[in-house]
Order: sequence, then structure tokens, then C-alpha cells
Amino acid sequence: MDALILDHITKTYGSRTVLQDLSLSLFSQECTVILGKSGCGKTTLLRLLAGLEQPDTGTVSRPAGLKLGMMFQEARLFPWLTCRENVALGLPPGSSPREADHWLQLVQLTEAADQYPSQLSGGMQQRASLARTLAMHSGLILMDEPFAALDYFTRAQLQQELRSMQQELSMGTVLVTHNVDEALTLGDRLLILKEGKIALEEHLPPGKRDLLSPGLIEAKKRLLEELA
Amino acid sequence: MPKSPRAMRTMKDKLHFCLPFLVVFLLWEYAAAQGFWSSYILPSPARVWGTLLHMLQNGELIQHIRISLQRILWGFLWAFLASCLLSSLNLLFPRLRNGYSGLLEVFRHVPPLSLIPLLILWFGIGELPKTIIIVLASFFPMYLNMDDGFRRCDRKLLEVGQMLGFSPWKSLWKIRLPAALPGILTGLRIGMGYSLRAIIGAEMIAADSGLGFLILDAQAMSRSDKVIIGILTIGALGLILDGFFVLLERKALYWMH
Repeated sequence: MDALILDHITKTYGSRTVLQDLSLSLFSQECTVILGKSGCGKTTLLRLLAGLEQPDTGTVSRPAGLKLGMMFQEARLFPWLTCRENVALGLPPGSSPREADHWLQLVQLTEAADQYPSQLSGGMQQRASLARTLAMHSGLILMDEPFAALDYFTRAQLQQELRSMQQELSMGTVLVTHNVDEALTLGDRLLILKEGKIALEEHLPPGKRDLLSPGLIEAKKRLLEELA
Repeated sequence: MPKSPRAMRTMKDKLHFCLPFLVVFLLWEYAAAQGFWSSYILPSPARVWGTLLHMLQNGELIQHIRISLQRILWGFLWAFLASCLLSSLNLLFPRLRNGYSGLLEVFRHVPPLSLIPLLILWFGIGELPKTIIIVLASFFPMYLNMDDGFRRCDRKLLEVGQMLGFSPWKSLWKIRLPAALPGILTGLRIGMGYSLRAIIGAEMIAADSGLGFLILDAQAMSRSDKVIIGILTIGALGLILDGFFVLLERKALYWMH
């Protein structure tokens, strides 16, 4: 199984150390969720994995040929392109632009294919962003609190859809969030990031999640205790 | 039949646009009729109109417009190409900027007209020095807006490009250029305005045609009616060219409307 390896990573901003001597392996074909309070370094960790930032010390190793996709907190669609054109940008070279329609259909945006981002709601924009990321056929998708800005119902719906897609497409994901319920809904492996280090690791069984099941209620208690 | 609110608004806008012209025209007509100034200083609108018709009939004005427009567009085109080249180089090779930024800063503050003596000395009295004057006048607003637009591109969108595996060139073409387009088009509009302003200076260099020449020649012949026609023609040309850029803006920035 391909793994993205962080080896003794340290990252500081000014006098604040965000990540301290962190070592971690992240595998494709599973959903790893990194949980933590705001400002604990979750996004920094994800940006280091994506190569958008460099660590002060330590290394990030990516297996040759492992393609990374990233979904940001905001949809970050190009405002001058239609939904379809935005998604088509993610397609591998040589693909037919019409392939974008397949991904738009998957995220239920077929109707909005010819609309511009400014004509879409926040939830629709995030769906389009997800379609663009999926279109990249990446081995591992990095997600930085992608549903944080959405209302409760849209968020819950997109979480369920993402969970189904993860299983359908055997999609590896690294998701950072501060939302424990989101972590329990989507994650196979949950990591709590605290004071720049991994403070707790939990593994959840595969399959559909019922947040009211005794197993998940217990897991939630442990996570909340560690986060407190 | 009652007009739609939109049609009414358009009509109102047109009226607001025309009203100041009408007021100036009426004041002019009144001042000329009262004889506040001699017709040598302020010819009446009727006399200017008559001269205008005469100049249109004998093709004199059209010829001046054609020559000036050719010079303006030629200078503007070179200034645009130079702006594109330099701002792209600044982006692709950021260190290169240090090599010429000081020189550009100095030239930015030098009035193009002050270079006329040297330009005549170096390039003679042909078309080249005239083009250079227009290039110098219109280059800086275009270059500064383009360079600024490219540099101030939203970092978040550039990161998306990075994740999509864009090369620096593709990133420039697919992200920075469309993002900078509003600024670039503003630069083009200002640059075109500056080109028109520079035409008088350019046609001070031994010209025998063009609107700048028309004004300077009419001044020498004490034909203030022709001076007014020259000035108004440059203004009207500016309005038409600016209108073209407004249309271009609407077309290119469809996603903003």
C-alpha cells in the first residue's frame, strides 16, 4: 500500500512551534482524519503533505507516481470558468472535456454545468470543487475542512455522499477537521493532533456509520476527552 | 405604449450624458452671439459647423483623422506588446525586474515631450520618433496595471493551479492572465487616453498631417475654428475608442456581470 511518510517534521511560524518532531505514515485507500482544535496545526500538516509549504526540519516522502489532489476550505473555483470548465481542468492530459460531465453527474451538478461559480450556492460550489478534485484521478485526496463553511444539512448530505464515494471509488483521503461527528462519519483512522504531536489514534471498522451506535458513542467520548 | 423601466433608465442615462454638452453649446452660442469676445478668439458654433462641413466635404479632416489614428494605434500596439513582454518576464524571471526597474522608474517620470529634441537628433523627423512619443506616453499605465494585476493574483487560486500540476507558463495563461484581465483592460483604457493626448506632441515633430498638425497649423494661421474642430475631433475619437474598450470589457469580463 502506498504511503505518504512524514519523518520528524518540525514547523514553526515566528516563535510559535506548530508541529514538533512529528512522524506519521498516511496510506492511500483509507480515510485518515486528523482532528484537532483550531490553530493546532492541522492545516499546516495538510499543506506540508501537499507540498504547498516546506518543513523547517524533517522530510515528507511521497511514493513515485502517487498523485495528490486537494480540496480546500473554500471552493476556490476559477470565477471566469463555468462549472464544467472548472472540473475539466482537473482531468488528466488527453482526456475528453466531456468526461467532466461524468464527475458533475457524480456530485449531482449536471444541471449547473454551464453556470459560473458566482451563480452557485456555497454547497454547489463545494460539490464542483469536489468534482474537480475527483477528476484528477489522484491516489490520495487531501481535504482541509471542506464542509466547514456550509450549513448543517448541506454538510451532513455532502458527508454522506463523500462516504459513499470513498467506498465506491476506493478513494484514499486525508481529511482535517475540528468536527468530531464529521471525523466519525468519514474516517477509518482518526488521529488527534495536539501540541504539534499525534496525541491519540483510533481505528474504526469499515462500512456505513451510525453515530448513535454504542461503539461510535464510546469512540466519541474518548476523542472528546483527549481534545478537551 | 409605456416603456419598460430598463428602457426608461437607458434613456435617462443618455439624457444625463448629453445634457452637459447641450449646456456648454448653449453657453458658447450665447457668448458668441453677445460678442463678449471677438470671433477671432471665440468663433460662433455656426462658423465652426460650417468649417467642419467644408473640411469633411474636401476630405481634409478625414485625412488628418486617418493619419493620427494610424500613429496612435501603431504606438499603442507597440506599447501594449512591450507591456505584455515585460510583465511576463517579471513573473517568469522575478530577478530580472531588478535589472531594469530603476531605469523604468526614471523614465516613468520623464514627460515624453521633453525627449523630442533628442528623438529628432537620433531618429530624424520621420514616423519613428512620433511612434516613440506615443509609446512612451501609453506604455506606463498599461505596464503598471498589467504587472500589478499579474503580481496581485489571488494566492489561493495559484495554489489550486499548483495542485492541478500547472507549469509556470500554464499558470500564467490559465490563472494570472484571466485574474489580471480587469486591471489590464483598465490599463488599456488609460493607455489609449494617453496615446491620444500624446498625438499633439508627436505631431510637433515636423508633421504635415494629422490632428496634432491640424491644431498647430491652425494656431499658426489664427484659425481658432479649426483649432476647435481639431480638439473636438480628438475628444470624439477618444470617446469612440473608449467605447470600444468598454464593449471589450463587457465581452471579456462576462463572468463579472
